[in-house]
Amino acid sequence: MARVYQKDHKRVPVTKNILFAVKLGWEADKRLFLGYLASMIADEVFSLYVQNILFLRVLLGIIDAEGSFNEYIKNLVIFLALSLVLKGVNWYTTYLRQTATKNVLKQVNNKIFRKAVSLDVACYEDPAFYDKYQRATDVLAWGLFDSACAAVTAMIASVIALMLVIGTVFTVDPAYLIFLSPLILVFPVENFKAKLVYKRDKEMTTNNRVKAYIQRTVFLKDFSKDMRTSNVFSALMIRFRDAIDSNVEILRSYGMKLFLFSAVSTLFSEFIPIIGTYALAGYQFVFTGTLTVSAFSVVISSINSVQQATLRMANNFEGMSRFAFYFQNMREFLDFESNVKDGEEICGDFESLEFRNVSFKYPSAEGCTLENVSFRIDKGETLALVGVNGAGKSTLVKLFLRFYDVTEGEIILNGKNIRAYTLASLRSIFGAVFQDYTNFAISVYENIICHECDGEDKLRAETALKQSGVWDKIASLPEKGDTVLTREFDKDGVGLSGGENQKLSVARLFAKDFSFAVLDEPSSALDPVAEYKMYESLINVTAGKTVLYISHRLSSAVLSDRILVLDGKRIAEDGTHEELMQKGGIYSEMFTLQASSYKGETEVQE
Amino acid sequence: MKKNKEKTAHSMFSNIMFFIKLLFEVSPMLVIGEFAWGILMHVPPRLISVIGVKYIIDVVSEGERLERIFAAVGIIALIIVVSNVFTWIFREFFWNMERERVYYGLNKKLYDKARQLDEESYDNPDFYNNFILTIESSSDNIQNLLGLVRNYVGNIILLFSIGSVLLTIDPVCLVIILFFIGVFSPLSKKIGNLQMQRRVDNTRFHRRSDYFQRIFYLQDYCKEVRMNEISPLLIERYNDAATDVVKNQKYYWKRISGFYMIQESGIQILGFMFVLPLYLGYCVLVKNSLSPGEFVAAFNGAFSIASSINFLTVWAVAVFSERGKMIEKYREFLKTDFRISDGKNKAEKGKPKEIKIENLSFTYPGNSEPTLENISLTIKPYEKIALVGYNGAGKTTLTNLLLRLYDPTEGAILIDGEDIRDATVDSHRDRFAAVFQDFRLFSLNVGENVALDKEYDSEKVMEALSHSGFGKKLKNGTETELLREFDDEGVMLSGGESQKIAIARAFYKDCPYVILDEPSANLDPVAEYNLNRAMTEAADNKTVIFISHRLSTTVHADRIYVMEKGRIIECGSHDELMKKGGTYARMFNLQAEKYREESKA
Repeated sequence: MARVYQKDHKRVPVTKNILFAVKLGWEADKRLFLGYLASMIADEVFSLYVQNILFLRVLLGIIDAEGSFNEYIKNLVIFLALSLVLKGVNWYTTYLRQTATKNVLKQVNNKIFRKAVSLDVACYEDPAFYDKYQRATDVLAWGLFDSACAAVTAMIASVIALMLVIGTVFTVDPAYLIFLSPLILVFPVENFKAKLVYKRDKEMTTNNRVKAYIQRTVFLKDFSKDMRTSNVFSALMIRFRDAIDSNVEILRSYGMKLFLFSAVSTLFSEFIPIIGTYALAGYQFVFTGTLTVSAFSVVISSINSVQQATLRMANNFEGMSRFAFYFQNMREFLDFESNVKDGEEICGDFESLEFRNVSFKYPSAEGCTLENVSFRIDKGETLALVGVNGAGKSTLVKLFLRFYDVTEGEIILNGKNIRAYTLASLRSIFGAVFQDYTNFAISVYENIICHECDGEDKLRAETALKQSGVWDKIASLPEKGDTVLTREFDKDGVGLSGGENQKLSVARLFAKDFSFAVLDEPSSALDPVAEYKMYESLINVTAGKTVLYISHRLSSAVLSDRILVLDGKRIAEDGTHEELMQKGGIYSEMFTLQASSYKGETEVQE
Repeated sequence: MKKNKEKTAHSMFSNIMFFIKLLFEVSPMLVIGEFAWGILMHVPPRLISVIGVKYIIDVVSEGERLERIFAAVGIIALIIVVSNVFTWIFREFFWNMERERVYYGLNKKLYDKARQLDEESYDNPDFYNNFILTIESSSDNIQNLLGLVRNYVGNIILLFSIGSVLLTIDPVCLVIILFFIGVFSPLSKKIGNLQMQRRVDNTRFHRRSDYFQRIFYLQDYCKEVRMNEISPLLIERYNDAATDVVKNQKYYWKRISGFYMIQESGIQILGFMFVLPLYLGYCVLVKNSLSPGEFVAAFNGAFSIASSINFLTVWAVAVFSERGKMIEKYREFLKTDFRISDGKNKAEKGKPKEIKIENLSFTYPGNSEPTLENISLTIKPYEKIALVGYNGAGKTTLTNLLLRLYDPTEGAILIDGEDIRDATVDSHRDRFAAVFQDFRLFSLNVGENVALDKEYDSEKVMEALSHSGFGKKLKNGTETELLREFDDEGVMLSGGESQKIAIARAFYKDCPYVILDEPSANLDPVAEYNLNRAMTEAADNKTVIFISHRLSTTVHADRIYVMEKGRIIECGSHDELMKKGGTYARMFNLQAEKYREESKA
């Protein structure tokens, strides 16, 4: 959990971020901050002042003055009542904030989800942004709203308690404040020390990442076979050892400085106050006779109280600057403006799609992925998109679905730039199956229909599942289509195989009221027979609709009206199978290569 | 609580001792230092606040001389200096570094074990969860347990020293203190149980809410969520789970914080701020049997004893028992037996020999249906063998058995007439180069990734890479780091390029047998064609077994085995199988159909 990747750790404004945190928490549920405030003050005042100082002072005062036992009892009863009230406050507010914390989690998560859905897909592919998102969720996972509220309110409580304590010592004899004042210096010293530790830990970050990586690698199934059939373990262990040695070196190099800081801190927090107070008290007892036993016990106890209060403040301060970093990320995340802006118009039924001189460069990439691409696809056409790995086929799809906006040129849908349309209405005319198909841990029906299903929805889902060839499997499940997928959290959930999952994704497409189907390697997880059947039903379902296929298996390209060949960032060829074969270009070369083995067979058959 | 307590083989005490002993073996000084630290951290400040204060007040009340006060102050100063200097020297010059080394020592033990674990351990979710949990907490274990032991030792010494001081002042004080602690501290058990139940319930709800949270976070889902209006449904499901968490929290905390209040009010307020001072006041004011110094000492001592006892009986025990369970798992893990065990002989690499599989059957542990049933086949040296079949036919399982990632349920595999179980596991596996379907790259450099070893021959690596068609320019040659796990300069590769690195492993390794599981799944047609050609050239002097869905690649195999439901249903060369017109021919024709139509045209 403490695996914090601090590569871009810059100093962030502490106050601003902590206030942001408190405000966000306040908007989500006021009880969190108020609960902490009341319980911290009640607790701090009780333990540092009432119990530790006031109580002894009053009782010893009576003893010193040789007062009556009745007076003594009367005071005890007053203390009993006061203490019970403070404990009661603490009890009720603890209950309040413990409930509020989960509510804050819920409310803020809702905010995050809404933001996440509006994000550009590009954000998910940008590691820097992803880190931000990660840290924004860390805020919740690690309960940092609680930590921030606790730190702020504890500061307030410590200041109040500290003032009460110092005020009391002042009434005893202001001279003792001389020995208490170094305690205040503990605060900056501890703060410096924390910064040093932070710097040291930052130096160890890379090594700790190595350690975490090695641990994961050794234990994950993903790596298990390679680990067992090769000697890669030895290479990993060398990295592990190096990381440890390097950490030891870093720790060693900071040892002396940290030791000195600790020594100075102890000097201020323990040595000077304790020795000074005892010495002065001894002097006053013996020579001037001005000190009473009760006053002595007050100053001795106040050392303890001030010590605790300042150390706690130093800790809280250090904590705040740590939390600030995470809240900074959350703030940036929530304030993030998507690049892909919603249009205003609703786009109607699909008529035509046209790329006009489109170029596209991924934000972090050096060169363009697509350059000056132009083509047109009309209603009812079936188009195959072909090209080697990395030619930009999937990127092209991402552009007209507006996962990204073009760098240059324009994409025209139904005669208008696609930016004019609302994202929801634009995407609703497309049905897409992606290469990296995914399903959700909700029921099979819900996976297909995408909202809660009534009887009619279920029928529609069933039809789609039949079309994609996975209904037999679903029908064999105990709850049929109501079965929850995956065993993420449902013991009765069902895990499907890669091929079945892919068929489910295709069924989602079938159930959608789309007019343009986008199929990016929809059969990669299927065996030849299943693949064949899948294509058959795709042809049936998409009859009369517009279809764009991406496939490595050129046999499927033959099925389409037209073939686009992407090569070297451009559209190299555009035409029917026959045309391209005749042309003798890239497509015909690829097709011939793939077909060569099969072709030999044809002769045998004949 | 007792009913859902896991049955453990060792007592909590035995587990803690086991761990301390383990630590002691790795670093004796760390353990001894921790004990000393614990005592020095806890005892001096408390003793000063009890005995020191009493002494000075008494000296003053009795009108003694100034020297005695200054002597006392001097001793206090000395104690503070000595205990702090020791603590900080230990901490900054020894403890930090030693803990890194201990981390290494303990984890190395685990890793060595993990690497040898049977592959089947990964199929058993119980075992897997158990040991992953252990491993993830192992570094926490060191820190928490040592810190705990340190505090434990410190508090025990403290308890006895303060206790005996109070005993000399007035035994009744001690009786009052112990009475209130005895009456109210059992509530801690109740609180602990409630906390436990709360956490268990929360975990259940959180598992659900965390899942939906992940959907919005993970890249895998982002396209699907944008293309379908599914997010309202997902948010609703999240909110259902989150509301359950809030309800649960409310239910338990009302009780938990109530019990806390009763307990703290009972001990701290009723006991130490009312009954004890009442008695002390009576002694001082009415009976005159105690001095003001003793009054202060008894009062401070009471709080010290209460906090020590609370720590020792409630806090430490709860954490110890939790840690104890983890240590139990750690022990269990280190003791796990391997099913795949070494034979007596060391297998030699040498030239390819005949591989004979006899009546082989295999059922995955926990499955009722066998994955392989009665397989028999013979692979002659230098043959190129293709395994073909539907998803789930058992092709990959067969290669897993060849590599002894699993041992067969029945039957045997013989190489050169010798059962592979008679060879040592490492020497047996060393005869094979394997490229798995779900191959992974490591966050190591290119050379190490290809050689899969700490040492490698750069030239050979480059040669293997060129065979596999890897074309990307590498800035630092074979020393270029891959992936960005911890090196921000690391090179990220596309799926196709990654696969070529994986394939280069097979070209690099000097061994008689090669296994390729779907080697071309991520490659485009051109790369696939080139790869097939390179493979036939480079693997000339090796036996090759490969699995492929694309039947065009199987045409040139010496023999093709078609598998269905764990059995071999057809076997022969491409031509033979096509003539036979069985499953293979049907599959091939389906794939070839379009190409064939075209070639006719």
